[in-house]
Amino acid sequence: MSSLLANPLATPSQLYRRASSATLPRDVDEAVYFATQCLTQAAGRLLQLPQSVTAQANVLLARFWLAESPMAHEFSDISAATIYLVSKLGPLPRSPRDVSNVYAYLSSANSALFPSGELPKDDPRAYYQTEADYYAFQQRMLGLEARILQSLSFDTQVSLPYPLAITYLQTLDFLSQPRTTVSLRTIQYLNTALLSPQMLYITLQPNALATAAIYNAARDLGAKMPEHEWWEVFDVDREELGFLVVAMRSVEGWMQKLKEDFPSFGNNMLKRSMVEDELHRRGLQVGNRDKTPRDEEDEVMRMMDSR
Amino acid sequence: MSTKPKSRWASSAEDAEYEARQKKEKEEKRRKKAQKLQEEEEEKRKALQAAASQAAETNDNDDNDDAASSSSRPSKRRKLTPEPASNNSSATLLRFDVGTWKPSRSVDNYDKLNDIEEGTYGWVARATELATGRVVALKRLKLEAGDPNGLPVTGLREIQILKNCRHRNVVAMEEVVVGNDVSKPDNSIFLVLEFVEHDLKSILQDMPEPFLSSEVKRLLLQLTSGVAYLHQNYILHRDLKTSNLLLSNRGLLKIADFGMARYVGDPRPKLTQLVVTLWYRAPELLLGTRTYDAAVDMWSVGCIMGELITREPLLQGSNEVDQISKVFELCGVPTEDSWPGFRRLPNARSLRLPKQSPLASGSVIRARFPNLTAAGASLLNSLLALDPEKRPSAKEMLEHEYFRQDPKPKPESLFPTFPSKAGQERRRRHEPDAPVRGQAVALGDVDFSGIFQGRDKEERGAGFSLRMV
Repeated sequence: MSSLLANPLATPSQLYRRASSATLPRDVDEAVYFATQCLTQAAGRLLQLPQSVTAQANVLLARFWLAESPMAHEFSDISAATIYLVSKLGPLPRSPRDVSNVYAYLSSANSALFPSGELPKDDPRAYYQTEADYYAFQQRMLGLEARILQSLSFDTQVSLPYPLAITYLQTLDFLSQPRTTVSLRTIQYLNTALLSPQMLYITLQPNALATAAIYNAARDLGAKMPEHEWWEVFDVDREELGFLVVAMRSVEGWMQKLKEDFPSFGNNMLKRSMVEDELHRRGLQVGNRDKTPRDEEDEVMRMMDSR
Repeated sequence: MSTKPKSRWASSAEDAEYEARQKKEKEEKRRKKAQKLQEEEEEKRKALQAAASQAAETNDNDDNDDAASSSSRPSKRRKLTPEPASNNSSATLLRFDVGTWKPSRSVDNYDKLNDIEEGTYGWVARATELATGRVVALKRLKLEAGDPNGLPVTGLREIQILKNCRHRNVVAMEEVVVGNDVSKPDNSIFLVLEFVEHDLKSILQDMPEPFLSSEVKRLLLQLTSGVAYLHQNYILHRDLKTSNLLLSNRGLLKIADFGMARYVGDPRPKLTQLVVTLWYRAPELLLGTRTYDAAVDMWSVGCIMGELITREPLLQGSNEVDQISKVFELCGVPTEDSWPGFRRLPNARSLRLPKQSPLASGSVIRARFPNLTAAGASLLNSLLALDPEKRPSAKEMLEHEYFRQDPKPKPESLFPTFPSKAGQERRRRHEPDAPVRGQAVALGDVDFSGIFQGRDKEERGAGFSLRMV
């Protein structure tokens, strides 16, 4: 079963279509992508999910956004729907209630994800959810669950590079480094790559990601690598490796720049309204302005129906 | 090869060569497989195109032509980069033929012909794909409107498992299509499955003469090789029974209905005991074990073997208590010797068993199946071992002497054909008194919410005492 080792990948035409029909300027689009993936990671921590589950949610989100405009739904709802779906299919399911609580907390003023300078004082009132809030959240999340599945034709399998990376490191005898040090560095590169706006996990196979992460870790630690083109043993060619090495190393600098370009995005959980404000500031038309109010109205109607 | 780190890298020229050679072989194999897949895809797509251009005529000829033309074409491989200029490296890199994702198609691409089955667990219909005229089975996932947990995890598991499975004895899923209310969370979801003419249960019910032992052997071999494939891929079926086994007009058996199936990896997920239709449920499940494995499927295989021989379900209990007493009647009463540790199972603690007399406690399988050869009886005996540890694995079973003895398993092509039922009319409801299906489907929730709906019945069985003699 190759599905354990390989992933379906975005085709060049899909990537092209996404770039050409984008509703957002590229830098804003990337900022949204990054903020949402970070949010998923934070939620995964709070839901006490292992990284292998949260990372799958990151990948599903990337796949989903390849076809759908990020502005079509609230970012936090998509993030919640992916993590809920992935956890449900895995060995550690989480209830909609848990997911709802976590996202309510993360979006509150109390959220530790967005430090405001002083230590957040724990004030449960800030993230208390009424039954109606919960119901509305759950409805949105479950609607998106179905939506995500349909646009991925129900293929939720994600192969991650982590186990491969460890196997490769064993093969390389951990490059004569302390095992934990080199493994940790490798895993860190893989985790960071999940956040890269270059969408590395949906354009390259796990074996390439694992190999590049090891290469980067080795360089950071000054470990000696085999002199031959060892990456070919892991079925990665030089060009792929070179691209990935640069892509992985550039995420950090790119994040710094992001902080400077969008100072407001880091203060709160990113919402569509914030992005619209940003576009407005730039004097740009918001892609689907007419669509948003209708959705809200639907929401209200649905809430009233359900009472 | 671990002498000194240096020498390892030094000798890697030969290593690389060896590796390359091995990889080549492997890749060749994989590529062939992928090509086959690709061809199927190609065929589908071409067929689609063909049908679009000449909308009116969609006939079988198309398919054949396409198959011929696409097999002559080399399979397309995904290339992100041009082939490396091979100046110094002769390595062939392994590339998977993976494809991409695209939205599910609409169910409107299919035209319903007739219902096959509508029961507690959903709805299956025969349909044709409009573009190609191919006949398929459409199975609608049962969705609870307003389920607080969203789409049923059992259905999603079924889809994922079928997507990953490719074996001649496992029913093939072609795609998943959806209804037209795309925005609704309870929009219908249909599995497009290959259409197979019969199910084994209906055949057994209608056949005037039982299967010949050569036929039983062939059917069992096919079932077992399908089960072996599933177990090898960490899948437990958890609902093997004759009504879930399909038989084509060419004698090909296929395992279907993966609504209860799931992956069991490492770490072992928490598993629910509420699985398998009662008549096929293994004793450890009836006694409430919290950990079980592939042996529960092998018990079901044993029940199916008995049923293939007699045309009657082997152990037809009316409820859990009755079921376990039927099991003990047939297989004997467990003892610490025959099943070490069974007393520790939750429902066995309060179990009162008759005083051990060797006569009452032994298995009567041999006597129930007088026409079975010694090898056959020993196989059935081992499949129906009370202790799950003593049941053979599917892989071991394939090697059993029973299959090598005369009469030899009959070739599939020589199988009799049966009047098609699914073709025109609705299939009969099976096992009207099997209480499980409805119950079982609700179980999916159990894993998650921890709210044990429909569980009260099961739990009542916990404190039962059993008097025999």
